[in-house]
Amino acid sequence: MIITTGGSPRHARIIGLGNVLLGDDGFGPLAVEMFCCQYECGSNVDVLDLGTPGLDLGPYLYGTDLVVIADAVHAEEKPGTLCVYCEDDLFAHRGQLRLTAHAPGVQESLAQVRLAGHAPSELVIVGVVPESSSLGNGMSPSVLSASSVAVENIARLLVERAIGCRRRHAPVKPNLWWLSGDPSESLRAHDHNPMCSTTAWRET
Amino acid sequence: MARISIDPVTRIEGHLRIDVEVDRGTVQKAWASCTMWRGIETILRGRDPREGWVFAQRFCGVCTTVHAMASVRAVEDALQLEIPANAQYIRNLILIAHGLHDHIVHFYHLSALDWVDITTIPKADTARAASIADGVSTWPGNSHSELAAVQNKVKGLIGSGQLGIFSHGYWGHPAMRLSPEMNLILFAHYLQALEFQRKACQVVGILGGKTPHIQNLAVGGVMNAINLNSLATMNMDRLGMMQSLLQELVPFVQQAYFVDVCLLAASYPEWFRYGRGVANYLAVPDLPVDAKATQFDLPGGVIMDGNLASVRPVENWRDEAIRTAVAEDVTHAWYIGEGAQQPWKGKTDPYYTDFRDEGKYTWVKAPRYDGHPMQVGPLANILVGYSSGHPSTRKWTDAAFERISSINGTAVTPEALQSTMGRYLARAIRSAMLSDLALRHMELLSANILKGDDTTYNPPQFPKQEIAGVGLHEAPRGTLSHWVVIDKGIFSNYQAVVPTTWNASPRDDKGVPGPYESSLLGNPVADPEMPLEVLRTVHSFDPCMACACHTLDASGREIAQVKVL
Repeated sequence: MIITTGGSPRHARIIGLGNVLLGDDGFGPLAVEMFCCQYECGSNVDVLDLGTPGLDLGPYLYGTDLVVIADAVHAEEKPGTLCVYCEDDLFAHRGQLRLTAHAPGVQESLAQVRLAGHAPSELVIVGVVPESSSLGNGMSPSVLSASSVAVENIARLLVERAIGCRRRHAPVKPNLWWLSGDPSESLRAHDHNPMCSTTAWRET
Repeated sequence: MARISIDPVTRIEGHLRIDVEVDRGTVQKAWASCTMWRGIETILRGRDPREGWVFAQRFCGVCTTVHAMASVRAVEDALQLEIPANAQYIRNLILIAHGLHDHIVHFYHLSALDWVDITTIPKADTARAASIADGVSTWPGNSHSELAAVQNKVKGLIGSGQLGIFSHGYWGHPAMRLSPEMNLILFAHYLQALEFQRKACQVVGILGGKTPHIQNLAVGGVMNAINLNSLATMNMDRLGMMQSLLQELVPFVQQAYFVDVCLLAASYPEWFRYGRGVANYLAVPDLPVDAKATQFDLPGGVIMDGNLASVRPVENWRDEAIRTAVAEDVTHAWYIGEGAQQPWKGKTDPYYTDFRDEGKYTWVKAPRYDGHPMQVGPLANILVGYSSGHPSTRKWTDAAFERISSINGTAVTPEALQSTMGRYLARAIRSAMLSDLALRHMELLSANILKGDDTTYNPPQFPKQEIAGVGLHEAPRGTLSHWVVIDKGIFSNYQAVVPTTWNASPRDDKGVPGPYESSLLGNPVADPEMPLEVLRTVHSFDPCMACACHTLDASGREIAQVKVL
């Protein structure tokens, strides 16, 4: 017999922020695409590439339990470093810490949704320090390879918060339409990274 | 003479800098500058025109769909490719939902707090506020209990001593004149607006597959499969879902947003006297109702020198004058050279100097129409429609005038719309019209499908020789055009002339300033340290610099600096 506490299952949104046309600024969209290719979720999890919505982020934060935002962050760490922040960090350091290029939109939208009474119970930012955010259709190897660590962090969060996700038996090939050339070497680099152990995707 | 520099001006998407010289409380000279560059069109060169829209919709994070739409229209124009009627209606519904979303965000979240002082809300008499709101609108969100709950939220916010995102407002400024009750009503709608933004997004999502980046476009139509008996396609369920979302959205627009702007206009009538600026207006027709795009629900036209008695109609997208009259001047922009180029021949080679009052001072080019600066946006839209007797424009504009006059006797004329407040009002009028049109295009789509037409796509064929096209769209901020040259089936040139480029245009080779710049002349400034009145006029255009100078805020700078030099 399955015992539930009643009510609907907990709900989460995994959001990628950033502009894919601006090099490493596309980390967020990359991370959510990689996550979808390696993990399966139930209908209680939405995975969204929102680009750079500014204040239009509000509707996507509305009425959910957990929001995870993947984004490029400006921290005093070397490029490719993964940095995880909670909502308090975002507001505590306002004006001093440049968390992310899209932080003003995140902060304003979150504050608005909170005041309207529909804010998520928890917000986590999974960020990576970019190497270069200039126009072009390439991403730095360090940022590409950090995406797999980010994917594992997102998956762990979902499991820890009892929302859940399941590793795919056979990962699907990510659709990284904005990248020219074959980024697969850099994406596979994480195989040597002791922090995670995802397998390479299968050609479909 | 005081010089004030506000950098950045936009509430969140940075990089618009406004400099003004103020003497005896009014602006004497103004400069609009965009402070960052990325030649984003270069990324389109050499690509397959069938996938151009996928990249174009990443120009800006806010107006995603509009660039996607202009891009496919440009290629279809070059190929002279007709698209099926269903594709027109589906695209139109996406554009309408996006437009409503954008206008709601502009009024409540990007500009209302230039007029609404939230710090007075704790003093409001909530019963009186409910009765004022009830007197002007049937909107159900104006109940006494709703307004009291909002007041409590604001009291909590102010009591905490942490205004957070509201800490940068010009609270207590002498130009803030609404009663505490009015401030409460408008702020209650500010919070409710989020819910309706969501509904608009859901409509775009149902048709576009995803938001904010739609997936359903194609050169030649849309990729929505229509089969009323299939669960996986556009069927009765989805049409019904969309219908009910729109039926919830429309009352918010017509009974809350539209009425709020009328209340604001009646409360600040002096703002019909400021901010006129460039009185040449350009609007292109949009929302085609037939496959061949010969008939449109929104009219296009050109008005020169504020002469509302004379409109040159722009009948359709093949309008020859637009193709030849539009050129971009780089005399005062940070690009190599001087003078103007037609966009198909346009170049974007950067040449940065410092900010030079008399020289180059911005990354925005100066678009000109027959050599004249033009104002674009909902105001151009409404003036063209009103002057040419367009029934829906007349209906809603007259409704706004009557409402404003019934509140306190303020008489507004079409002439007076050429002002800062006129731009706010025009946007609300346009939204009310778009709400009616949302339901109409739902019906057009349903009726056409029920008739048995399920085609959505005509495949494109690319010739070997060079072809050129322009994709026109009357976007929320005004006329948008993408100009493409296709050679052997790939893009050999791509230029986007966007609404904010028209409006934030710098001076040209003759020294004639652009719309932002000239709209600020004579603008009042009571306190140079708190140039609220400058923001009101600039925000009335709904500036969005992301695509105007092809940039996104990558600096992380959060707080505008006001420097009095």
